Amino acid sequence: MSGLYGLVFYMLAAVIVVSTGMAVTRKNQVHAVVYLINSFLGTAVLFYLLGAPLLAALEVIIYAGAIMVLFLFIIMTMGPGVSEPLRLRVRQWVFPSMLGFFCVGAAGLLVFRVRESGDGMPVAMASPAVFGRFVFERYWFAVEIVSLLLFVALVGALYLGKKEDSAAVEIQKDKP
Amino acid sequence: MTVSHGEVIMLGAVLFFMGAVCAVSRRNLIMILIGVEVMLNAAGIALTGASLYWNALDGQAFVLFIMAFAAAEVAVGLALIVYSQRRTSSVNADTYNLMKG
Amino acid sequence: MRTILFLLVFLPLAGALFHILAGRHVSRRVVEIVACSSVAGSFFMALSALPALKQGPLRVIFLRWFEAGDFHAAMDVYYDPLSAVMALMVTFVSALIHVYSVGYMRDDEDYARFFFYLNLFVFCMLVITLADNLVFLFLGWEGVGFCSYALIGFWYRDEANAAAGRKAFLLTRLGDVAFGVALGLVFVLFNRLSISHVNAHAMELTAASATILGLLLLWAAVGKSAQLPLVVWLPDAMAGPTPVSALIHAATMVTAGVYLLMRLFPVVLMSEAALSAIAVVGVLSAFYAACAALAQKDIKRVLAYSTISQLGYMFLAVGAGDVIGSMSFLLSHAFYKALLFLAAGCVIRALHEEHDIFRMGGLRGRLPAVFFLFLAGVLSLGAIPGTGGFINKDRILVAVFSHPDGAFKILWLAAVATSFLTTLYAFRLLFVVFLGRSGQSVEQREIHPMPAVMIRTLWPLAFLALFAGFVNLPAVWGGKEWLAGFLGGVPGTVPHLHVSPGIEWFVAMSDGVVALAAAALAFVLYGPVQATRWRAVFIPAQTVRDFFLSGFYLDRLYQAVLARPYMELARILWLKVDEGALDGGIAASSRTFPLLGSVLRLWTTGRLSTYLLGLLVGLAVMLGLLVIRFYAG
Repeated sequence: MSGLYGLVFYMLAAVIVVSTGMAVTRKNQVHAVVYLINSFLGTAVLFYLLGAPLLAALEVIIYAGAIMVLFLFIIMTMGPGVSEPLRLRVRQWVFPSMLGFFCVGAAGLLVFRVRESGDGMPVAMASPAVFGRFVFERYWFAVEIVSLLLFVALVGALYLGKKEDSAAVEIQKDKP
Repeated sequence: MTVSHGEVIMLGAVLFFMGAVCAVSRRNLIMILIGVEVMLNAAGIALTGASLYWNALDGQAFVLFIMAFAAAEVAVGLALIVYSQRRTSSVNADTYNLMKG
Repeated sequence: MRTILFLLVFLPLAGALFHILAGRHVSRRVVEIVACSSVAGSFFMALSALPALKQGPLRVIFLRWFEAGDFHAAMDVYYDPLSAVMALMVTFVSALIHVYSVGYMRDDEDYARFFFYLNLFVFCMLVITLADNLVFLFLGWEGVGFCSYALIGFWYRDEANAAAGRKAFLLTRLGDVAFGVALGLVFVLFNRLSISHVNAHAMELTAASATILGLLLLWAAVGKSAQLPLVVWLPDAMAGPTPVSALIHAATMVTAGVYLLMRLFPVVLMSEAALSAIAVVGVLSAFYAACAALAQKDIKRVLAYSTISQLGYMFLAVGAGDVIGSMSFLLSHAFYKALLFLAAGCVIRALHEEHDIFRMGGLRGRLPAVFFLFLAGVLSLGAIPGTGGFINKDRILVAVFSHPDGAFKILWLAAVATSFLTTLYAFRLLFVVFLGRSGQSVEQREIHPMPAVMIRTLWPLAFLALFAGFVNLPAVWGGKEWLAGFLGGVPGTVPHLHVSPGIEWFVAMSDGVVALAAAALAFVLYGPVQATRWRAVFIPAQTVRDFFLSGFYLDRLYQAVLARPYMELARILWLKVDEGALDGGIAASSRTFPLLGSVLRLWTTGRLSTYLLGLLVGLAVMLGLLVIRFYAG
């Protein structure tokens, strides 16, 4: 059993990592977003593997379906615009990449020292009903807060997106 | 039996730092945001793995909230990018350097 | 009695305070009256204190100054015959000169400052004269130095005068260093700073410590009395007003050096080496100054070198062990030198500030009173037989000649030679200024009117100059040596020189012959009829004359050997060390901070990517630290 699950896990990991890698190195923003959608789909399956089916669904709906689509909308709206040059300057990415490698290495050292690998995790599954009950019982306050947060985001986005002259015209109209 | 907890965390770590490098080294504002999204997603993976390890649902609840929050953040962030692109007609992060010391 | 001594010392100080506080707000007449009466008051106090000496010397403490352990500094006086006589002379001459100055400074607007310094000087000089505590004496010692500096540079708007004052101050300061060291040494040796105590216990000194102490005191006296090698300040000090030259640089301050040696004579007496040193310094200075005086052209400079020369005689007398001879010579010299200076002041004023004697001449007819006064002074200076000056010089020569140490005969010969030169230059001065023709016809120049007070004050001085020496007339010629008897009680003095009449006559005759010959030679060379053949023989070549005129080029020597290297060193230390190394070092170290700042400034690019990179770097650092902690800790 662990062998199968392990194999699936590694396949998924490969998909996720490769598509994420492609996503971050594309010059074309649309290509990057599409690769990222791919990565998120892989992540959704991974969530299912790790016993969170609701999260898997939500990952597809919210992350891949809403957020990335929003990205695409904005990219299309803004047009080509002034972007970065075709080839990134070397010194722009060499140092951060080295740092990234170093951090990954450090994380690996830390993880495999503290948590002895070897024993796999028991497989489990949290059904949506159980999960939903859990969230609304334990974290109901956070849910309310998050809904407020979404509302604030809505207001903010609306305000920022308004065209400037129309706002001035409306104020003019209000004067007696 | 599935993989060990450490391996899930490592996956999360690799993804996280890929997103970090993307956020740091790209100059296009959209790409920076994409890097942030990748980081958030990686955190979600790590949390889900931990939830499975500890056999508790708190990790998954946290991922739920992360997703909600990420959505809100992207909405506002993109609105900001559109707004500033309208003002300065540039999505290059280097052009916003009025705070140069 | 205490009150009398207190008034004696502090009346001039009160006058000085009045002048400095109120001098500019009251009328000129008031200032003059206060100045003269304060010093005259001191003189009367000095007179009335005399009878108290019958009970022996007196020690009075005015004020306890400060104390640190055994070190007591107090304002106290020791009134014994020596200081009584000196105080009398100082106050009398000062009072006369104050009155003279009223006339001399009549056209000067700075009279309040002048009388302030003059009164302050008299106070400090009286402190030196009477003080018992060495610290108190040092106060007076420094005080006269300061007043001398201030008065030499009185007309400070002329840079040369200020420079002369500075030079005087610096050179006497060199001597004062020795005084300070001597003060410390006395404290170490005796644990007390009282002169009377030191004199009483001088016998307990070892020869070595007595020598050191004696040499230190000699160096201090050399500075104050302008002997070799600290001699170059006195000729330049003539830049001050003539009354100042008369008071300070003839009668009082320069004699303070010798007076100190006389006051502490029991100490000096314990060391043969110190005595010999004193005598040698004296005779060398006397000879040097007499040579230099022969070639001078400025009337006051002749008198300045003459003062140095006469002071050398006083040093010689002390070195030969004859304090009384030195003291009586000091008194006599004070009178005739002050007289000569003041008379010279009359001449200078009459000829509109003319100082060059070769531009004077034939003044006998125009200023007859001054001529006679000057003649009186010159007679005494030249030690013509029959004057008081001759008696005193004779006593010194006898003391030197009859000194047990045979080497002193050489000193005697030098002293006689100097005597010849002295008379020569004295009469030269007299003849050139008052007789004969001048380079520029004096008849064509108008004589500046002179206040009568300037001449009237000089007659008493003339009388004293000629006859004051007779108070010490030796028994050989029928005198009683009253002064010697009076001073006999002073420790360390030898009242009567016990020599055979034969030696007395021999010395006197030789001295008299020398003096008369010199006078005659001067008359031939410089008199109304100047014999050219004699002149060709006796007057040396121009180079020799320049050598004498500049005082053996001592000034240039000191400049080259001492002053210039010191200035160079100062300049190097200033430019290279202070500005270069210290300032430069501090400036360099201060430059590191902007440097560091500009390095740190690289972070504030204002770009988002830089800050994100910073976050990543921080994260990497934290992870690295964690790794280190887990793997090493």
